[in-house]
Amino acid sequence: MGLTMLGYLLRRLGWLVGSLFLAGSAVFFLLRVLPGDPAVTLLAVGSPPEQIEAIRHQLGTDRPLLTQYGDWFGGLFTGNLGDSLFTRTPVLEQIVDRLPVTLPLALSAFVASILIAVPVGVFAALRRRNAAGVAVSGLAQLGIALPIFWVGIVVVWLVAVQWRWLPPGGFPRDGWQDPGAAVQSLVLPVVTLTIAQASLLVRYVRSATLDVLNQEYIRTARSLGYSLPRALWRHGLRNGAAPVVNVLGVLLAGSLLGTVVIESVFALPGLGSLLLTSVKSRDLPVVQGAVFLMTATVLLLGLAVDLIQRLIDPRLRGQA
Amino acid sequence: MSSSPSGGRSPVRHFRRRLGLVTAGAAIGALLLSACSNSSDGPSGSAGGADPDATITIGSLNEPTTLNTVKGGNTGHAQVLLRNVVEGLTVLTDDGKVEPLLAKSWDVSTDGTTYTFHLQSGVTFSDGTPLKAADVVTTLKRVTSDESTSARKKDLSIMKTIEAPDDNTVKIALSQRSQSFLFYLASTGAAVTKPGAGNPETTVVGTGPYTVGTWKQGDSINLVRNDKYWGDKAKNKEVVYRFFKDTTAENNALLAGQLDLVTQVTSPDVLAQFENRPEFTIVEGTSTTKELFNFNDSVAPFNNVDVRKAIRQATDRKALLTAVWAERGQILGSMVPPTDPWYEDLTSIDDHNVEGAKALLAKAGFAGGLSFTVDYVPSDSINIVAQGLKSQLAQAGINITLNPIDDATWTDKVYKNHNFQATIMTHVNQRDLVWYGNPDFYWQYKNPQVQEWVKQSETAATEAEQTELLKKVARQISEDAASDWLYLDPAIKIASSAVSGYQKNLTTDSFYVAPISKQR
Repeated sequence: MGLTMLGYLLRRLGWLVGSLFLAGSAVFFLLRVLPGDPAVTLLAVGSPPEQIEAIRHQLGTDRPLLTQYGDWFGGLFTGNLGDSLFTRTPVLEQIVDRLPVTLPLALSAFVASILIAVPVGVFAALRRRNAAGVAVSGLAQLGIALPIFWVGIVVVWLVAVQWRWLPPGGFPRDGWQDPGAAVQSLVLPVVTLTIAQASLLVRYVRSATLDVLNQEYIRTARSLGYSLPRALWRHGLRNGAAPVVNVLGVLLAGSLLGTVVIESVFALPGLGSLLLTSVKSRDLPVVQGAVFLMTATVLLLGLAVDLIQRLIDPRLRGQA
Repeated sequence: MSSSPSGGRSPVRHFRRRLGLVTAGAAIGALLLSACSNSSDGPSGSAGGADPDATITIGSLNEPTTLNTVKGGNTGHAQVLLRNVVEGLTVLTDDGKVEPLLAKSWDVSTDGTTYTFHLQSGVTFSDGTPLKAADVVTTLKRVTSDESTSARKKDLSIMKTIEAPDDNTVKIALSQRSQSFLFYLASTGAAVTKPGAGNPETTVVGTGPYTVGTWKQGDSINLVRNDKYWGDKAKNKEVVYRFFKDTTAENNALLAGQLDLVTQVTSPDVLAQFENRPEFTIVEGTSTTKELFNFNDSVAPFNNVDVRKAIRQATDRKALLTAVWAERGQILGSMVPPTDPWYEDLTSIDDHNVEGAKALLAKAGFAGGLSFTVDYVPSDSINIVAQGLKSQLAQAGINITLNPIDDATWTDKVYKNHNFQATIMTHVNQRDLVWYGNPDFYWQYKNPQVQEWVKQSETAATEAEQTELLKKVARQISEDAASDWLYLDPAIKIASSAVSGYQKNLTTDSFYVAPISKQR
């Protein structure tokens, strides 16, 4: 088993590297196919067109595409994502600067979603035939249907503008120096993201629980005198966990990507807002770096999910 | 790109109209929030006079992309830096006049081509080193260097020699007489910066009343009072510009007391939230922000003056202005705002006349109608303009297809490659009528007479002569219907009632914050 697991791991790592390469290439070339030239966005109205070439030369965007591509990939191996075209500061530095906002936001929403959705989902499954269970499922459905930015707007309007309980957005200029202030400014964004993510998760937990309920081992356990919750706890949890772990991976990736919208609604200086600003100014190295890192994170999550599933469910280990 | 207001382009808009639908979403939000502390300070009351150590927080939708004074042609760049951090030899005042700043006075040779500037005494950079004439020379050479992408690079290239005969004198010889030279010197690119002060994209050391504190990209920049400032010191200790991507987020911050002021309101819809509330003040001033419906004048059918005139006559500018700005702002008859010296009311030329438009179209051979595509960068107000134009022009048999695109695409497609039929664009600059004298500008208007007048106006012997010539230009382009000038934006600001002293108009590139004070 040890060998098959090692072989599997190596194969998966090979796939990961290949996927990263493909993703990186796709990001690089897709950005260049997009209309809009960074040199032109730097130009002021009224400047003569011959100036564009001069700026391109300054920015290095006049070099052959393959040279730029090679430089970028070469840089990746040394952890160098290039410099911002406009501020001439390293992209990696800019991204790392944003993590103290984006990571706590995405992770708290992820954890809160699990804490809320697992009990609620199980409850909805066990009570699927009575009013409370139906209401919970309905609410979850609503949470999925509502656009996340709209939820954000409503939450801000109510909690921050009308009641003034919490700031409507922004992040302390000195970051986590005052942890209280930093936490306060993250509460509403986390709540908003959690509403969206937990709603999604409730549905998965509910249907996974229902699946498990219909399994023979539960019936067997019940016939042996176990109560339903105890039967679920003893036998159902482990059996139902594998598909849920898969969903959790998707959820964590979703939390990370959801920050792009959330950070804009709440004016937070995180990775998502960096991405938006840079797309607008066509600061290609920054967009490339941010998208690549997000892609890499999602791919790594996928790998982690697979490995965890194998640890939970021995039946998967024989498969390649 | 100093051309668009760039605010509020996300789908997050007009949420107040949808509040009736708020039920479950809000309820969940409220339920999840069990214990939260109260973080708002509330209005501080009116007791106690101005606080010299106040921090003024300003909301803005325009963040600079760089701090390099000879680059970064967007609105936010000049709003933050010019006159606050860096100063030029001259300054453009809020009412559109050019006045001395770092230059105390100047002499002009009789042929008008040599300027001798006498610098103010006692000026130091914010790092304490004294300003020398040589620094001004370095700065002015920089704005026309290869590195520069300044909007005034070409205009200032008329400087043939720039010298410092002594520490307090700068002597500039021009290749030709230039009536606009002193105006050009007031621009960001010509503002004096200390040479070699660090990464020019993120560091700037000037002689202004503030120094740049920290810049958190995508979030904020703060300016700290320069206590060594040579002139009147700033009336506040610190100014924080907070940058928003979204108007709604900006308004919420203002409503919740996080901001003292917003640089500009981009749509009157938000005003209702602030009206009749004593803690806020709404101020309306004038701007140089012109909303334009432009044609590619050199391609068919717009190379036919009758077609252009027909479109102008089919446009009901008053209705557009009302739709966007209610009773604010004013309609335009040419490319000139009232604060430019050559303003005249030309709104009677090609005034709204649907029958006239139809007749002109028939004369041009489009009796059966006309169709074309309009590229535009959507924003709250431009969407209204686009929809309005579509229905107005339809009444004269003109069918337009609306093609929303993003800023960078607009710049590439329309501005650089002239690959468009018509476009809606906001032009913010002062004194930009002269672009109609450039046949290669994106709208490709080619009238040799106008080009000649623009040229002559620049080399005119007196300001009066320049003004007369440019009045002729304004009238001629209007008669040629070179573009369809829609209206002039009002400059509307919303501020906390605790602050005062901010500029009312939006007629200069800078947003001068030193006179702003806040009640204790």
